[in-house]
Amino acid sequence: MTPRITLLLGDRNGIGPELIARLLADPKTADSATVEVLGDPAVLDQGIAAAGVSPDPNGFSVTPFTPIEIIETTPGMPTEAAGREMLAMLAEGTRRVLDGKSDGVVFGPLNKEAMHKGGLTHEDEMRYLADVLDFHGTVGELNVLGGLWTTRVTSHIPLKHVADHITVDSVYDATLFAHRTLASAGFDRPRIAVAALNPHAGDGGNFGMEEIEVIAPAVEKAKAQQLAVEGPYPSDTVFVRARNGDFDAVVTMYHDQGQIAMKLMGFAEGVTVLGGLPVPVTTCGHGTGYDIVGQGAAKPGSITNAFAICTAMARARNAEAAA
Amino acid sequence: MGIDKKPLAITMGDPSGIGPEIVVKTLVDRVVDRPVVVIGDPAVIERAIDITGAALSCRILDRLGDFDDAGIGTTIDILPAVDMSEPPKFGVVSAASGKAAYDAVIAAIDLAKTGEIAGIVTAPLHKEAMSAAGIRYPGHTEVLADKGGAERVAMMLANDELRTVLVTIHCSLRDAIERADFDAQLAAIRLAHEGCLALGIEKPRIAVAGLNPHAGEGGLFGQEEIEIISPAIRAAVAENMDVTGPWPGDTVFMQARQGRFDIVVAQYHDQGLIPVKYMGIEKGVNVTLGLPFIRTSPDHGTAFDIAGTGTADAESLRTALRYAARMADARVL
Repeated sequence: MTPRITLLLGDRNGIGPELIARLLADPKTADSATVEVLGDPAVLDQGIAAAGVSPDPNGFSVTPFTPIEIIETTPGMPTEAAGREMLAMLAEGTRRVLDGKSDGVVFGPLNKEAMHKGGLTHEDEMRYLADVLDFHGTVGELNVLGGLWTTRVTSHIPLKHVADHITVDSVYDATLFAHRTLASAGFDRPRIAVAALNPHAGDGGNFGMEEIEVIAPAVEKAKAQQLAVEGPYPSDTVFVRARNGDFDAVVTMYHDQGQIAMKLMGFAEGVTVLGGLPVPVTTCGHGTGYDIVGQGAAKPGSITNAFAICTAMARARNAEAAA
Repeated sequence: MGIDKKPLAITMGDPSGIGPEIVVKTLVDRVVDRPVVVIGDPAVIERAIDITGAALSCRILDRLGDFDDAGIGTTIDILPAVDMSEPPKFGVVSAASGKAAYDAVIAAIDLAKTGEIAGIVTAPLHKEAMSAAGIRYPGHTEVLADKGGAERVAMMLANDELRTVLVTIHCSLRDAIERADFDAQLAAIRLAHEGCLALGIEKPRIAVAGLNPHAGEGGLFGQEEIEIISPAIRAAVAENMDVTGPWPGDTVFMQARQGRFDIVVAQYHDQGLIPVKYMGIEKGVNVTLGLPFIRTSPDHGTAFDIAGTGTADAESLRTALRYAARMADARVL
């Protein structure tokens, strides 16, 4: 069955509507999925005008969704009303998947400040969605670029606290989570590399013991579960190997370890997958681009990739449901 | 052309590794516009010429000087510093090879200290082989710092697109965070500045990376940026250096690559090495800063697994030689 994908415009004051317009104008979009746009039709029209494209109206449907009575578009400004709209849109889009009306959600860039003004009390939209969907399992963000997926054991914490958070359980859990998320995107047996914490992967214990005492045992535990996992590998070469096609995913120990490499690979093309949720949800790796809104300059590489990954996840989910 | 300039020396490296082969491969062309002399064992270099099939002959020098333009690309000038009696086996750790590699480096340091050569380019040595020979240094840098009489040295890692200096190098991440204090920051910034000047960059634009995610996000994800790194940057600015930061570690290298900065000061080994290796491991070069003479080296090891096959890629050593020449030109040596 062709997967049904719901596109959310994202922050109406950012480049999301233009990006969605460009995605709709790409003939490959309608070929790979049955597409609906959920949101304010006037905002979609603004995006189409800004992008200067003319998508085939037969290639998608529009499901009007205007949760806020009066809302102005104020390009480049994070507003409370737009924030409320984003939160309502995310909830509605994902609920449609749980209700069986859609198979996956791709959203345009959101603005955190606007969402906070609009009432977001969670750490981010991923935790918000878990709450909205009443989901209590593990969730985590994965970054995808050029076929390489990364996830991390620790994220937004001081670097000096990282080593304390690197435990056999936390590394194993992150590895298992990476495996499951890639499997949910259609990878048969994803090849996962686990990055080391210390330089030269600790150089046999000379530059730190975490590889020997913590990371290697976690890798062994994952291998015992028949996962295709290797490591710990020195982080300055693991991404070079990944680029050469040796791995599908890298589990990183801390924020910058993965982000340095991913941003060098091509920031503009990156995708964020909200992993673990009961619904396939993907978005752009970049932000709302307030400085270029309305100029038609925003590039659709990231949203196009986000759409492709969401479609793959939706297809795998449907196949599993059918089995 | 550059025949009147001071020569650069290339040390042969561990003769059981790829060093001699890549030295020979480097010298089949005129890579730099000044004389180049190889310091090592003539028999080892002769063997490397045979293995690589290079159309070169050896000329053994008694002393430095008497370089001639006609020889470039046809002869290799060798200053014998070592006599191994016969070249060692490839691909195995041996005390004789460790000692030979070390002796070549020592000979080069002596020439550099007396100003007879413009600088040293070192082919890879093997730290276990040196250790087997009873030489207590863990690597080149320590030998050079000690025998060269340097107080504080730092590695600058460079490729065509990026240069970086590390505040901390070979220690655990936990220790790196401890050691990255104000003095270490300021010393690294100064060495980055000097390193760029040595490369002929007139007013180096130095970016300092943060330690924490998002450079601490205003203190939310760590205090080191506010309490340590920013004060060190201010101190460097007060010394008239063009220094900015702390910048988020995940975007600063991209910005440097785009030409916004000449060099990035990285807080810990992998922060600097992930981007350098990602952007071209085969073209990376190490520059040792803080020595009283120029020293560069390739960004790889002895590759015992392919030594003697003639397949080793000499690109990194060539780049190291080019960098050394560029630094020598900048100093008008």
